[in-house]
Amino acid sequence: MQQMFSETIWLVPLYALIGAVLALPWSPGIIRQTGPRPAGYINTLMTLLAFVHSLFALRAIWHQPPQYLSINWLHAASLNITFDIEISSVTVGALILVTGLNLLAQIYAIGYLEMDWGWARFYSLLALFEAGMCTLVICNSLFFSYVILEILTLGTYLLIGFWFNQSLVVTGARDAFLTKRVGDLILLMGVVALLPLAGTWNYRELAEWATTATIDPKIATLLSLALIAGPLGKCAQFPLHLWLDEAMEGPMPATILRNTIIVSTGAWVLIKLQPVLALSPVASTVMIGIGAVTAIGAGLIAIAQIDIKRSLSYSVSAYMGLVFIAVGTQQDETALRLLFTYAIAMAILVMSIGGIVWNNITQDLTQYGGLWSRRPISGICYLVGAASLVAFPPLGCFWSLTEMADNLWNTHPWLVGVLVAVNGLTAFSVTREFSLIFGGKPKPMTVRSPEALWSLVLPMTIAMGFALHVPILLHQWNLLPEWENLNLTVATPLVISTLVGAGGSAFIYLNDKIAKPIQLKPKAVQDFFAYDLYTAKLYRVTIIFVVGLVSQIIYWFDRYLVDGIINLVGLVTIFSGESLKYNVSGQTQFYFLSILLGVFLFVGVVCFPFLSQLHLIISP
Amino acid sequence: MQLQYCLILAAALFCIGIYGLITSRNAVRVLMSIELMLNAVNLNLMGFSNFLDPSAIKGQIFTIFVITVAAAEAAVGLAIILAIYRNRETVDMEQFNLLKW
Repeated sequence: MQQMFSETIWLVPLYALIGAVLALPWSPGIIRQTGPRPAGYINTLMTLLAFVHSLFALRAIWHQPPQYLSINWLHAASLNITFDIEISSVTVGALILVTGLNLLAQIYAIGYLEMDWGWARFYSLLALFEAGMCTLVICNSLFFSYVILEILTLGTYLLIGFWFNQSLVVTGARDAFLTKRVGDLILLMGVVALLPLAGTWNYRELAEWATTATIDPKIATLLSLALIAGPLGKCAQFPLHLWLDEAMEGPMPATILRNTIIVSTGAWVLIKLQPVLALSPVASTVMIGIGAVTAIGAGLIAIAQIDIKRSLSYSVSAYMGLVFIAVGTQQDETALRLLFTYAIAMAILVMSIGGIVWNNITQDLTQYGGLWSRRPISGICYLVGAASLVAFPPLGCFWSLTEMADNLWNTHPWLVGVLVAVNGLTAFSVTREFSLIFGGKPKPMTVRSPEALWSLVLPMTIAMGFALHVPILLHQWNLLPEWENLNLTVATPLVISTLVGAGGSAFIYLNDKIAKPIQLKPKAVQDFFAYDLYTAKLYRVTIIFVVGLVSQIIYWFDRYLVDGIINLVGLVTIFSGESLKYNVSGQTQFYFLSILLGVFLFVGVVCFPFLSQLHLIISP
Repeated sequence: MQLQYCLILAAALFCIGIYGLITSRNAVRVLMSIELMLNAVNLNLMGFSNFLDPSAIKGQIFTIFVITVAAAEAAVGLAIILAIYRNRETVDMEQFNLLKW
């Protein structure tokens, strides 16, 4: 019986897809009478079904060797593309995480989208995302991972562009699509280049191939860099990180998904590709470099934001940077564990602030204050999420961060420094948000702020409960180190950085004696981080400028040179007709002249050989 | 007396005729130039029949035909000039440029 669940695991994405299709009839243009709510209920039910199915499947697959299924998708000439599925405890565990978080986000959306008519579209897109992510995690083929990443890129575009009558939403959706698309396209180059080298797109066979592969280091480097580029865009790493900031224009329940799992899709592919990427030491260095720069940079930017959603979105980039570092240093297990603990913590944070935004309208951190006494549940959830996000023993991310630092300690000690710094910065940032929202005195926007609806609070508290149980779960799965094995040389600085970050932040922002808003002495530095290192301007003067210029030039070339040459032929014909008609002068004598000239010419041409010989005849 | 001189004279006469044909403004003088050209042709025919075909003298028969046809052509030509003159009251060739582009 239980075996059946694990063998039919491929049904899990289909539940969501069915939900996506079933939701559509409640679009306002089709069912005009009864309102859009059934779309949401159906999808929540389908997600619940998928979640329960995955749970049973996990029970069946637990402590079993992974199973592999393969479906022939396309067979043409010598190319054979198969859709491979891996059923292991990791993939099914990821399915549970995906469907579980989706379930929470969909229940959350039932409350959050109370006053919205677009449920059909919203829930269809959420379900499309769920289906895509479920397919991605069980899919064991790089080719189909790419296919799904592209579908999810399109889904991101549509989901961010949900309220498309707002101009910022339209530009945000555009940037999200194009930025992620660029990464995906470079990934496609890598995917296509990999087939002739490895002869397969199956992750398992790729890993086997990579152990014995001997390829030119230059090719390995280029290939690995192309394979990194896709996840680079997906995970909102520098320099392709602006889209995540602008994606915060989308609806909040979608943000839960985006900040927790969608950005993790890139990391998932990156982790799966780790054996191939390990072929090139340059690629590992690049990954570590990008990860470190993003983690530190985004950590600093997050502190300088005044928009509460954007502040969290930069923490997302920072943590994805840590995943990059983990993969760059060949710790794929640790990276997976970090994704797991991070996703749960970030989900709680986003849900908590979503509830705050829902009935305080503003997203401006400087307009908040004094919510602790009236919003205790949101506040406690936020605290638990924040504590799970940073290295705060015994909660989730402490273990993954410590494990990562432990692995790095002997090989890359300076990366432990990065880890500690990012942890401290994130602790500072999340505590700053907490202090500004929940601490201090109420401001005009927050004077009357009741706790949100049950459907906003319920998923938040469930997630909080789960986050509190994560250490127990990890212990149950034997993923926690023994106390005596715990590397205190790295664990202590991590915890200290958490305490320093959080304590410093609380001291600054909960202290009435320090004037708010905080002004850094060099205003330029504060602005530099507040405006996200001026990335929008950077894009505008580099890529956008160059592409714009080139397209202008090509347009000009096409408009004036290519078209012009053809038009010139027409013009010359017209002009010659217009000018040659003056040969018809109306003078009879002129006609005589032309006849005579023609005759002379013709006779001259015809007789020329004879005339030239004539000379010879006469002369002797 | 040689054939060449005869031909060169005829050619010269023909060229004079062409010059007159193309440059004259008076329509009658154009007809006169045409007569000159026809006479140049006749000279050619006569010269060839004299020097190359003295027995059969086919050229002389040709000449007679050309003179006859030239007379007829001159008659028709003058009639046309008269017809134009009646309408336009001039024989200036440069006034007859209605049929242009």
